[in-house]
Amino acid sequence: MVRFENVGMRYGPGPEVLRDVTFVLEAGSFTFLTGPSGAGKSTLLKLMFLAEPPSRGLVNLFGNDLATTKRSAFAALRRRIGVVFQDFRLLDHLSAFDNVALPLRLAGGKPDDYTQDVEELLGWVGLGDRMHAKPPTLSGGEQQRVAIARAVVARPDLLLADEPTGNVDAEIGQRLIRLFGELNRLGTTVLIATHDRSLIENARAREIRLVDGRLVEMRAGRT
Amino acid sequence: MSAPIRKRGRILPREAGAAPLDVVIGVMAFLAALALGASLVADRAAEGWRAGLSGRLTVQVLPPEHGAPNPALAQETAAALDVLRSTDGVVHADEISQEETLKLVEPWLGSGAVIADLPLPRLIDATLVPGARIDLAALTQRLKQAAPDSVLDDHSHWIARLKGVADAVIWSAYGILALIAIATASAIAFATRAGLEAHHDIVSLLHQMGARAGFIARAFEWHYFISALFAASVGGALAAAFFVAAGGLESVGIEPVPFLPPLSLQPAELGWLIVVPLGSAFIAWATARLSVLAALRRIY
Ligand SMILES: Nc1ncnc2c1ncn2[C@@H]1O[C@H](COP(=O)(O)OP(=O)(O)OP(=O)(O)O)[C@@H](O)[C@H]1O
Ligand SMILES: [Mg+2]
Repeated sequence: MVRFENVGMRYGPGPEVLRDVTFVLEAGSFTFLTGPSGAGKSTLLKLMFLAEPPSRGLVNLFGNDLATTKRSAFAALRRRIGVVFQDFRLLDHLSAFDNVALPLRLAGGKPDDYTQDVEELLGWVGLGDRMHAKPPTLSGGEQQRVAIARAVVARPDLLLADEPTGNVDAEIGQRLIRLFGELNRLGTTVLIATHDRSLIENARAREIRLVDGRLVEMRAGRT
Repeated sequence: MSAPIRKRGRILPREAGAAPLDVVIGVMAFLAALALGASLVADRAAEGWRAGLSGRLTVQVLPPEHGAPNPALAQETAAALDVLRSTDGVVHADEISQEETLKLVEPWLGSGAVIADLPLPRLIDATLVPGARIDLAALTQRLKQAAPDSVLDDHSHWIARLKGVADAVIWSAYGILALIAIATASAIAFATRAGLEAHHDIVSLLHQMGARAGFIARAFEWHYFISALFAASVGGALAAAFFVAAGGLESVGIEPVPFLPPLSLQPAELGWLIVVPLGSAFIAWATARLSVLAALRRIY
């Protein structure tokens, strides 16, 4: 599903943020990405969701070597990826409902086909009564849940979540992780970057850790 | 029971009030409509001159420039009339009386005793069958034989000069229209770039989520299409009002510009001005689309 080989990454003329990163995410796997702040977790995710090109090395996504894939094919690849951004990136002028519906809209869906799914999902993340609120009027944790709902609503092949439980309490955090688990059981490959040890201990999934831009295999997941 | 039709939020937030861009487009459209109107006026004037002058011939029988008057002038004139009347394609030919000839020169020479002594040419006005093609060289030859002092004038020289003037006006108007189109497109391109900048977070998120370039471009192009259509309609309507007002002045006898054709447009010609808002809207649509697509091609 995702394969990195000797990937290096630097922003402009700055120092290398990622160094010789090599790993594989198998289709249908569930993986945690950990590491201290500034280790390069978000940067690694950015390479996976095609926000930045790697400085060197090979990135293979869904069997496509990105170096030889045409730019015009990137949009279709991106639509197969659900992303929970560390800073949410919700559209402030759209309601929670419209934010969550956006991926379905981009895939060409009609409101009549997806309205029920979106409403159900918003109910599941505990925002059934905040559906028509605009993001600026939502709390940090509520915004985060909208961001998560938006990332999973189209049942992407790959889900990348950057610190998805940073703003919610432990109970909601567990509930959201269960949502990711549910999606994973339906076939989505999941990678979650997090600091939250309790999440990782409870889930007992594979853990890879970034330290100083290098990747360390910490724990193999249950099989 | 059918599900209610649900409205979805606009991809780009709605902007309030008239932007400076709308003012620019409105003014450009006003100027474009004036130029277009001027070209229509010139076109109609040229057609009027052509219709008035073509289809007619004038024959002058000239008196000698020096010395005694030619006693045979009347005879020559009669001979020339005979030649013209026997020519195929000539409907009728008549001599213009001395009084009428005097009237024709009056604006330049004034009236009075001086004029009466001047050696005036005899003039013959001939009307042709509409669309008739006369062999002018042969006719000139025959006239020369019958009346050695005759000069044939088919007005083609004047028609060509007037048409030249009208064509110059028309092509200048087209040139101005082209310049206005370029300026409008530049203003739209500039505004689109500013709009992309202002909505950078939205654009980059949509791009990140795999929105096709066309989807993002559409959100912008319709915004500029609608606002250009509106602004240019206002500008075009003001120009139309100008032409209507000019028509009003002319109808009460005030000519804005003497010797020039009337500035008023006929209803059908006013209809042509609709091209201006439609053209502006199309330019806005196309420019915005191309600008957005070009900007999206530049990002990863
Ligand atoms: N756009 C950027 N331009 C320049 N440097 C950047 C940029 N984004 C991140 N960095 C640098 O790259 C390094 C890794 O950042 P990154 O955001 O990937 O870390 P992280 O592991 O996600 O940290 P955190 O846990 O705090 O989110 C940091 O030193 C950061 O300053
Ligand atoms: Mg981060």
